[in-house]
Amino acid sequence: MTERPNFDDYFDAIVVGAGLAGSAAALTMAQQDLEVLLIERGNYPGAKNVFGGTMYTPRIRELTGEGFEDAPVERHLGTKRFGLLSTEDETAMSIKPGQWQESPHNDTYTVLRGNFDEWFADQAIEAGATLITETTVTDLVREGESIVGVETDRPDGTIHAPMVVLAEGGNSLVSEAADLKETDPPEKVAIGVKEVRKYDRETIEERFGLGEDDGAAYHYFGEGACGGGVGGGFIYTNKRTLAIGVAYTISDAIEDDRKPDELLSDFKEHPAVAPLVKGGRVVEYSAKSIPEGGASSVPELAHDGAVIIGDAASLLLNNGIHLEGTNMAVESGYLAGNAIVEAIHAGRTDAAALQSYPEELESSYVMENLQNYDWFSDFAHDEKQFLFQQLPKALTEAELEFFKQDYEPKETHAKRAKNMLLRAAGGWTGAAKKAWKYRKLLS
Amino acid sequence: MSAHPKTPEIERPSIEDRLYANKYTDHEDSHLGVFEDETCLDCETYDCVSVCPANVWRNEGDEDGVPLIAYENCLECGSCRWACPYDNVIWENPPNGTGMTYRYG
Repeated sequence: MTERPNFDDYFDAIVVGAGLAGSAAALTMAQQDLEVLLIERGNYPGAKNVFGGTMYTPRIRELTGEGFEDAPVERHLGTKRFGLLSTEDETAMSIKPGQWQESPHNDTYTVLRGNFDEWFADQAIEAGATLITETTVTDLVREGESIVGVETDRPDGTIHAPMVVLAEGGNSLVSEAADLKETDPPEKVAIGVKEVRKYDRETIEERFGLGEDDGAAYHYFGEGACGGGVGGGFIYTNKRTLAIGVAYTISDAIEDDRKPDELLSDFKEHPAVAPLVKGGRVVEYSAKSIPEGGASSVPELAHDGAVIIGDAASLLLNNGIHLEGTNMAVESGYLAGNAIVEAIHAGRTDAAALQSYPEELESSYVMENLQNYDWFSDFAHDEKQFLFQQLPKALTEAELEFFKQDYEPKETHAKRAKNMLLRAAGGWTGAAKKAWKYRKLLS
Repeated sequence: MSAHPKTPEIERPSIEDRLYANKYTDHEDSHLGVFEDETCLDCETYDCVSVCPANVWRNEGDEDGVPLIAYENCLECGSCRWACPYDNVIWENPPNGTGMTYRYG
């Protein structure tokens, strides 16, 4: 940058972090004619972003309109598979609905964040937002109790603005240092480690039974996926790469004798996984902290002069079956952006004037889902031995019995298999207790 | 030993092999550190070492003390921050666009 324009006091809002939440907020505000500065610490938007997941795009599609046709997606999700792994066995369920193969593909895509996040930030820029990269926000500026700007690591790096949007991600250093958010305990934060491996396109399509444009998400649970921990393994298909990873809570990572990278290697060696991931070459190795504390970890969202959105606000759902964060990041950015537009038009930036953000979020699917599954994290930790170790093993043993070829009639095998499962669940009483305890999983 | 003799051989890359694939820009000062050396001297579990996916935190040799910090390996996940039971980890974002640059993410 040859000449640095004077950013101080020029903008209505500063957005910290050009990830999905930050760019959604910037785009929403810029579309309604606010002056927005989007600050990204990486070389480009997406350079610091990692996910083990899929992009859920209803709100992105709505916000970007026709521009969405050019969104750099890898494959639409056509196949979802859940595999329960004991150390050597797999029991799996796979779905491939016809409807998902048709546009808009249930708004679910695999993407490379390096491409996708840059494209999404570009949409905000086209709408009028200003992006600066390679700039790290190090602190907030306060006047009394109100937040009135940010400190950055640029020379003369203080930038004042009426509103600050904290979209700094799960490793939310600024929000925590400013006492806007408590640091979660290690049971409430997961670590995800991921290897991206490159293959021939045909290899990926053959191994996963895919056409040219559809993709697959394989989720794995149980001891073979991530030891005794609460978490799992995953494989996502991109066009020419596979994203292969494991994610489990930091407290489980402390307990496990293996380090996260060793756990990842063990997962790749599982007999059910190895044939899918063999060969290729590693093109990237990454890790990310994942805020899994649910509703009880969501901090106060609106402050005098600032809001918190996305992963920084712990807006992430993991209930074992649904692993969602990208959609909630965008939704929170959108709702926060609208609230700020409203407040700025009213000439205010105090927390009370920003309440429509937490209120709208509260009545949206975001908080609805988080509250509905708030019990899951504690539940999964209490039940982890049964869920992730005993259950996969018992299932395998019962399946072996059920399908066994010998000279005994099917009825004998079926009865024996049923008894094995019942025993694993702790007999009739245990099973009844478990059924009661687990009922919420199905509701 | 696997009961599946035909399970294909899978590459077990070392941390170094994995990191070699990444794009990294060095910054001169470590963005990681500890607040109090004393705390590490009293620590027996070294949870920072256990959770680090990139061998940044190292408790090498059998001498007790502050772990070695190979900050240039850092994937910037922040796990060490939550892992340390004494809240003794200093963690700053690498400045001015340095550190890891993810292309796939």
